[in-house]
Amino acid sequence: MKIMNRLVKTFAAGMAVVLAGAASAQGGANSGENDFFLDRAESTKYAVILAGPTVGDENQSKFRQWAFSLHDILARDYGYNSDTISLLYDRGEVEGAGNQRIDAACDLEGIQAELNRLQSVVKTGDQITIYLIGHGSGTEEESKFNIVGPDITGLQFAGMLDVFDQQDMVIVNTTSASYGFSAPLSSEGRVVVSSTRSSSEKFDPVFSNYFIEALDNRNGDRDKNNRVSILEAFNYAKSSVEEFYEEQGRLSSEHAGLDDNGDSLFSLNPTTAEIDGRLAEIAYIDNLVDDTAGLSAEGLLLKSRMQDLERSVFILRGRKVEFLEEDYWQQMEELLVDLARATGQFNEVVNPGESSEQ
Amino acid sequence: MKSLTRVNQVNNKPMARKNSIASVFLLASLAFNVSAQNSGQTNTGESPLFRGEQLLMTGSYAAATDIFQMADGLDRNEGLVGASKAFAMMGNYQEAMSVVESAIEMDEYARFPLLSTQLAEVKRAVGESKEALVVLESVVAGLAEPPVRTLVQYGSLLDFVGQKQIAFSILDQAVQRYNNGLVFASEDVAMVALASWLMGNFHDANSLFNEATRANPNNLEAHSLWADLFLEKYNASDAERSYQEALDINGRYVPALVGMANVVGDERALQRALAVNPNSVPAMETYGQLLMLNGREEEAQEYFERVLALNPESLKTLSVLASSAALEERIAEYEGYLAQVESFSPNNPVFLGNVADSFGNNYLFDQAVEFARAAIAADSQYWQGYTLLGSNLIRLGEEEEGKRNLEIGYENDPFNVMTSNMLKVFDTLETYRTQESEHFKVHMSENDADILWPYLEPLLEESWDTLTAKYGYEPEGPILIEVFEKSEDFAVRSVGLPDIGPLVGICFGKVITLISPDTLSANWQEIVWHEFMHVITLQMTGNRMPRWLSEGISVYEEREGRPYWGRSQGLDLVRAAEQDKLLHVADLNSGFSGAQNSADLGFAYFQSYLVVDFIADEYGFEKLVELVDQYALIKDEEERFDEVFDQSLGQFDTAFRNWIDRRVAEINVYVHTEDVPDEGDGHGHGVRENSSAILAELYNNASLKQHMRARIEENDRDFQAYLQLGIVLFKEESFFEAKQYLNQAYELLPSYTGYPSPPLVLSQIYEQEGNRDAQLQQLELLLENLQHDYASAIILAEAALEENNFERAGYYIDRAIQVDPYRSDVHQLKANYAETIGDSQLAVTEYEVLLKLEINDPAEAQTNLAEAYLNNGQALQAKENILRALETAPSYQRAQRILLQSIDGDSD
Repeated sequence: MKIMNRLVKTFAAGMAVVLAGAASAQGGANSGENDFFLDRAESTKYAVILAGPTVGDENQSKFRQWAFSLHDILARDYGYNSDTISLLYDRGEVEGAGNQRIDAACDLEGIQAELNRLQSVVKTGDQITIYLIGHGSGTEEESKFNIVGPDITGLQFAGMLDVFDQQDMVIVNTTSASYGFSAPLSSEGRVVVSSTRSSSEKFDPVFSNYFIEALDNRNGDRDKNNRVSILEAFNYAKSSVEEFYEEQGRLSSEHAGLDDNGDSLFSLNPTTAEIDGRLAEIAYIDNLVDDTAGLSAEGLLLKSRMQDLERSVFILRGRKVEFLEEDYWQQMEELLVDLARATGQFNEVVNPGESSEQ
Repeated sequence: MKSLTRVNQVNNKPMARKNSIASVFLLASLAFNVSAQNSGQTNTGESPLFRGEQLLMTGSYAAATDIFQMADGLDRNEGLVGASKAFAMMGNYQEAMSVVESAIEMDEYARFPLLSTQLAEVKRAVGESKEALVVLESVVAGLAEPPVRTLVQYGSLLDFVGQKQIAFSILDQAVQRYNNGLVFASEDVAMVALASWLMGNFHDANSLFNEATRANPNNLEAHSLWADLFLEKYNASDAERSYQEALDINGRYVPALVGMANVVGDERALQRALAVNPNSVPAMETYGQLLMLNGREEEAQEYFERVLALNPESLKTLSVLASSAALEERIAEYEGYLAQVESFSPNNPVFLGNVADSFGNNYLFDQAVEFARAAIAADSQYWQGYTLLGSNLIRLGEEEEGKRNLEIGYENDPFNVMTSNMLKVFDTLETYRTQESEHFKVHMSENDADILWPYLEPLLEESWDTLTAKYGYEPEGPILIEVFEKSEDFAVRSVGLPDIGPLVGICFGKVITLISPDTLSANWQEIVWHEFMHVITLQMTGNRMPRWLSEGISVYEEREGRPYWGRSQGLDLVRAAEQDKLLHVADLNSGFSGAQNSADLGFAYFQSYLVVDFIADEYGFEKLVELVDQYALIKDEEERFDEVFDQSLGQFDTAFRNWIDRRVAEINVYVHTEDVPDEGDGHGHGVRENSSAILAELYNNASLKQHMRARIEENDRDFQAYLQLGIVLFKEESFFEAKQYLNQAYELLPSYTGYPSPPLVLSQIYEQEGNRDAQLQQLELLLENLQHDYASAIILAEAALEENNFERAGYYIDRAIQVDPYRSDVHQLKANYAETIGDSQLAVTEYEVLLKLEINDPAEAQTNLAEAYLNNGQALQAKENILRALETAPSYQRAQRILLQSIDGDSD
């Protein structure tokens, strides 16, 4: 099963403009977002998992499973390796298997050291995604992420991240009382996910479980492009959390929010049509892979045609409200039929005689 | 919408008043009370009046009568009023009257307003309203400023005797006096509250009662009247609290005891009330009604006769008796009661409203509507009449007119909790979708319309075809069914109030209300079948079916509908027979009305079913239909049984007992006294948990094993002992021995339907042993008797699909949907099944449902549905759906292929 990529490394210079346009179209033609999350093949994506300490066997086992699963899924399915993924776990070691995954203890020193290391290796346009797993506490600006030793506040953490002003950054905070900690992390061009919407939501959320589930096997891939964006993972986790509480017959004690326009206000239902969601939609977790090497001229032409058509679909979709329903679907049908035919022809060219079914 | 609730803030006073002056007087009044109380504590020479009031307040009525009569001088008249009140509180109404009457010289009532007012109040209490009216009229006419109490009692009495216009002008005088800042005492404020209530100003009344009880927290009358107001508005919780506040001060305060009984149905409160006052008319009336509800008409009749002997103008009793006569079409008798009421209270809307309510409570909604209309015709400002009319119209399926009348009631009496609740349900219904089939019209949520309706519709029509043919009767349709997602909405729509207990469905004859299966963990199809059976029996008899027979037949038809539906409560039957708890057939209704808990109610259903089963088994099904037909006629119960079975009710009951004995002998298990009955929700429709078996896991294994082995030693047919021993051994992983005991338990009682059951535990053992065939075999046995197990049905369905046993797969998929149609796994399984057997229409149905259930991958769900449409020859629908999938996922190649195919199909 081949993945259709929208970027050809050899065409990087020219195609980057097209891709930026496509991203913009998906995001509703917001020119301000063009500089962020351009998803270039030459850029590198880094993941930092911070799993704080906990008490009680149940929580310990849960957080450990989440942290290790996330580590493994990113390494297995999303192109991360030991150089691009770091796990700072509790006191830096675990009983039994798993120690080899851990890079350092989740304490202030370990976090600062890891960020210093990252600062020394990242380039402009690289993407850093930080996952916070564990307990949070406190309210508003006093909200803290519980780490080994003195806890860290959102303001402190935001200060430590300021050095990464040339990188795209995603922060996924899945701790209890995460809202107060996450709000100061908000910044232009940054995607921040918080598993709770207010400081009053203090119980350990289940959001993390479903966010990781969204990444696993690319379950969260709603648009079937075989990639999972932060927006897709967020929506998958959010709806799964709702279902979880409904099945339990309990009132939900957590409501996740997402902010990607830097206003520190978290949207509960981010979409590309809303204030928050446009950047998260193009913030992909995986590294872009070039699969166009060796294509014939006809293949490259068809690929380009497909990309144009896909971009047109995104643009039309973003302007849906401007059309009468009937006109919209008529135009959409034309584009989609053309795209389907172009894809079929591309498959014939690339794999003559083989079924085009994915 | 706001309910009539307590107001706690001082600034909630209803009317403008001279605050500063009031404060001065209030302080003076309080100072007096404090001083009096202080003197009671410190001064051994306290006045008889003060001591009498203390005794009256604390319920020492006999002592109070003596002490009050010792008051003299300026206190004399007040003392006599106090003595009269104390006599009345003990039911000695003659003394209550004579003690004040003797002090009123020359019948000059205006000269003795307090004595006269008390006299009039007692006279009214014993049904001498005309005499009371003369007394009060004389006081009011003879004084420029009659006491507030006199005005309010006079106004109230005028209203009672049908002179509403004059009544309101008198009551208004009391209110105006309050507005002018001239009413200060708590007792008088409470009277102004009563005046406001009678004039329909409920908000003012509420605020004034609050003020009265704050001014004097010991004002028992104010607490109790306030509670009465809450009760009238169906605000039970606040009513209970106010009655309790009165009872906390005086546990022998009869009006509060009776009120409490009305709120919580507490028979002991009534017994206490009657112990204090054996002649309490309200207590006897309430007792009589309670007895009637329990089918003890003769005992009830005794109470009502006593009431009428004490007070021939007792409106409530006359209403009850008139209702009873009207229900049984004893027209002359009804008219006699009506004439009796007309003689002292012409055009009384409450009387007609009470009769309407009785008809409604007896499911005779047409007649209830007629009486409610008559009540409104008698007094267009009788707002409760609109609520009665509206609620009964709804039960006839006349929703629009019903809503209109509820709105009139609400606009004029927004504090009536029942009215506002019922209107709120209309708000819910406005968000619902209406689905229709040949014989049914169903209101349900969008979610249920999408997910439940595909399975509900065929079931409804199957129930119609099967049961109408079987009973030879076609009910008047369409039958309106309302499926509520919130149990509060279901309860309000059904009975007007948000708490209905364990019920999950109610049939009103042409209307059925149901709780959505989405909130149940029970077999919803059995419930639907059960309720539709009620439609037939109710309509066959003009809604005159006794509850026991209607429920008995509905439960009986459950088993007839599907072999695994219905109830097999063998252990309960043996236990009931051993403990002689089976009710006489004549008393079966009391099993429902007198149920103290869910287990009682469940058993009432079960025994009613047994009687029906007995009839069908012993006399033949046609006799059952004949018996139903008998209830369309108004006749004596004995006559019905004599007509159908050619025997008396007693003989029938004896035959039933003998049949039960044979059943018990056939079941042939021993029920140990230490085991409690299985319990479940939904009065028998849900899973019934075997708490002894569940608790077995908590006990010390060694001692429990020893104990259970001893029980088996003692009686080798002790089913529970085998089961519990098997569970403990399973827990210990002593599988071989566990299987032996569990198999023995199963052989003892194969039809056992509780949870956990022997096949369930056995299936788990075989699963752990990796013996899949044996596991499946046990699950199959399990589902023969347990209809509420979703997971087992899914396992069996998957296994059958693996074996290409499609008939079996379809059967178990259906069994799972009967328990929970809202899970996607069962629909995915059914979609796979449909595709495998080539049923493209069924596949479409399943993918349509799956699309509604999918939350995380709508593009995939839409693609699946589009493909199903395509396979079913619906190219246009396929294209519409696939375009939506591709709008989200434009590069999804499987969807692209389907789009191209749908275009080709479309162009064909």
